[in-house]
Amino acid sequence: MRRPGARDDSMTLTSGSADALKTLFGKDFVDGRSADAAGYGADSNRYYKAQPGAVVFPRTVQQVQELVKLANRQNLALVPSGGRTGLSGAASATAGEVVVAFDRMTRIGEVNMTDRLVECEAGVVTQQLHEAAARAGLHYPVDFASSGSSRIGGNIATNAGGIKVTRYGLTRDWVAGLEVVTGRGDVLQLNRGLIKNATGYDLRQLFIGSEGTLGFITSALMRLTVPPKNLQVMLLAFKDIDALMAASAQFRRELPVTAFEFFCQNGLQKVLEKSAREAPFDTAYPFYGLLEFEAPYESVLEDAMDLFESLSDSGQVADAVLAQSGRQAADLWFLRESLSETLSHFMPYKNDLSVQLADVPAFMARIDACVAQHYPDFCVVWFGHIGDGNLHLNILKPADLAAAEFKARCERVNADIFACVQAFGGSISAEHGVGLQKKNFLGYSRSAEEIAMMRAVKAAFDPNGIMNPGKVLPD
Amino acid sequence: MKVLVAVKRVIDYNVKVRVKPDQSGVDLDNVKMAMNPFCEIAVEEAVRLKEKGLASEVIVVSIGTAASQEQIRTALALGADRGLLIETDEEVQPLDAAKLLKAVVEQEQPGLVILGKQSIDSDNNQTGQMLAALTGMGQATFASAVEVTDDRVQVTREVDGGLMTLSLKLPAVITTDLRLNEPRYASLPNIMKAKKKPVAVTTADELGLALSPRLKTLKVEAPEPRKAGIKVADVAALVDKLKNEAKVI
Repeated sequence: MRRPGARDDSMTLTSGSADALKTLFGKDFVDGRSADAAGYGADSNRYYKAQPGAVVFPRTVQQVQELVKLANRQNLALVPSGGRTGLSGAASATAGEVVVAFDRMTRIGEVNMTDRLVECEAGVVTQQLHEAAARAGLHYPVDFASSGSSRIGGNIATNAGGIKVTRYGLTRDWVAGLEVVTGRGDVLQLNRGLIKNATGYDLRQLFIGSEGTLGFITSALMRLTVPPKNLQVMLLAFKDIDALMAASAQFRRELPVTAFEFFCQNGLQKVLEKSAREAPFDTAYPFYGLLEFEAPYESVLEDAMDLFESLSDSGQVADAVLAQSGRQAADLWFLRESLSETLSHFMPYKNDLSVQLADVPAFMARIDACVAQHYPDFCVVWFGHIGDGNLHLNILKPADLAAAEFKARCERVNADIFACVQAFGGSISAEHGVGLQKKNFLGYSRSAEEIAMMRAVKAAFDPNGIMNPGKVLPD
Repeated sequence: MKVLVAVKRVIDYNVKVRVKPDQSGVDLDNVKMAMNPFCEIAVEEAVRLKEKGLASEVIVVSIGTAASQEQIRTALALGADRGLLIETDEEVQPLDAAKLLKAVVEQEQPGLVILGKQSIDSDNNQTGQMLAALTGMGQATFASAVEVTDDRVQVTREVDGGLMTLSLKLPAVITTDLRLNEPRYASLPNIMKAKKKPVAVTTADELGLALSPRLKTLKVEAPEPRKAGIKVADVAALVDKLKNEAKVI
């Protein structure tokens, strides 16, 4: 038997299997080579070339179950596909797999106002959930730049985080129930919307963040909350990262913080140049923090002002501006949110890392020193969700360096960076997932014993290794 | 030279406006309010004149409920020196606004009055023009550049055919267009300082005027929601639809 998680080259689509799929899916079957399959079998990570054998569009859980049973009988590899906004290649079909696209499972139920729950099929777009919650006067708080395309099934399968984690946690914290089809072809109803449920292993949690390797999520009961009131947005300038971290800790202690993001001057500079906007401050500072907090009462705003006054008197905050309108708030958020897009023009090598908050300054210093020593011509741009210890490390390609050589050198940087992450007990993937991209580096964040247990879990749910094979677990 | 700037409290530009079910107006309950964007530009321009040493004092005036003090404080944080609120709970229409501002002009004797060209709630685009007519001052509307020299102001205006440049004798009334400047952010130290700047409160009554709205709102309706697009089979069908249905070719 092959190792759980490995991909088997015999799992390609035969004409017999294709016929069986056509029988099951009718017009919801698309040949992998046809124009209609374009875009499927790849996520936003452009590195892995899409070569799906077929794309199928299930409409019901029963169809997914039939598909998984068929795949078990005929040894077909299945790759789930949601909004394909992932960055780790987890939704990539690179070797003739059958892509299971949830585009047609987009039903969203009535909001249950008593339990504040709403049932979403896996293909519901995140923004649809935001809108459904808002129509009911409620709020779904997990939000990120791709929420207009990403789908709930994918959010759950990657345990998506985003910009409001410091206040609201991860997708995991909002999943009250899951309907999944396991790799064995069983349909499980997990947790059913309960708040308290002390009945042994919570299998729901295993599926959250499993990247489709244990089974497919077909539907989820998502929990909603009350919307935040009177959000205030402020941009703060800092002389060094220690001051930023200290201020961040103080804000989180004393204010109802909904987001605390950071970026550095070279990142801001690129955004300002690209967007032709004016700098938010007269002087440049090395680090900026974008603070969003809720001010439901006038007194909160007054407390906030007192806090800023004391922080600026003590020199911890070098300068700060407060948005006076929704437009200014959006403009300040723009500076942070357009970073990723702006930097993409420099073909950056990206890494999505996390360490404990207390370790952030030392960790950043170590990485900066490592890059400066071994790769002095590389420009490092830091930004991220610093309120939760999540750092996005971007290394920009020097203009005169060929893309292939840059990539090869970045592969070498990887090992150095991940060793540093390991030394700090951090994570090599804070929120983007493992997929294909990081599976062979998993050992930097998870012990051999842990990985052995992960393989055992995979084997229990997917004994034939048909569910998203070759992802997450190392080769 | 004193510069008088008028600012209006309106629904925040980023808020999706909802019509009240009885169609009597738009829903203002728990809706985020902010300074009218064109007024922000007017404040910024006045503050820049002060920073260049061309204005001695920037006075900001608002007409509205007590809550309009928030927008006056914002203007003070951006660099205005003092505020005046003409407090009223009534609906304020352009002619009444212009009459009230005229009373303030008579009191303050500013060398320049800067207003937004229109407010994004009622979109009247009248107050600046009416104020100029009532006071006999010259007016330059839709300004995209303002240059003050001695006793004159040169204003570039955005008009349909391009740019028009006017030279006016001071005192004058200017209304701002979108491209005049990019308003700054309110810095924390300036927000603190703004708390200590004086804001006077008066009423129409005290200014010897009574509000007399002349326009009556009959009904407010939301625009038709956009219809979903359709797919056509081929170019011929597209051309047919463009010609016979949309009538654009």
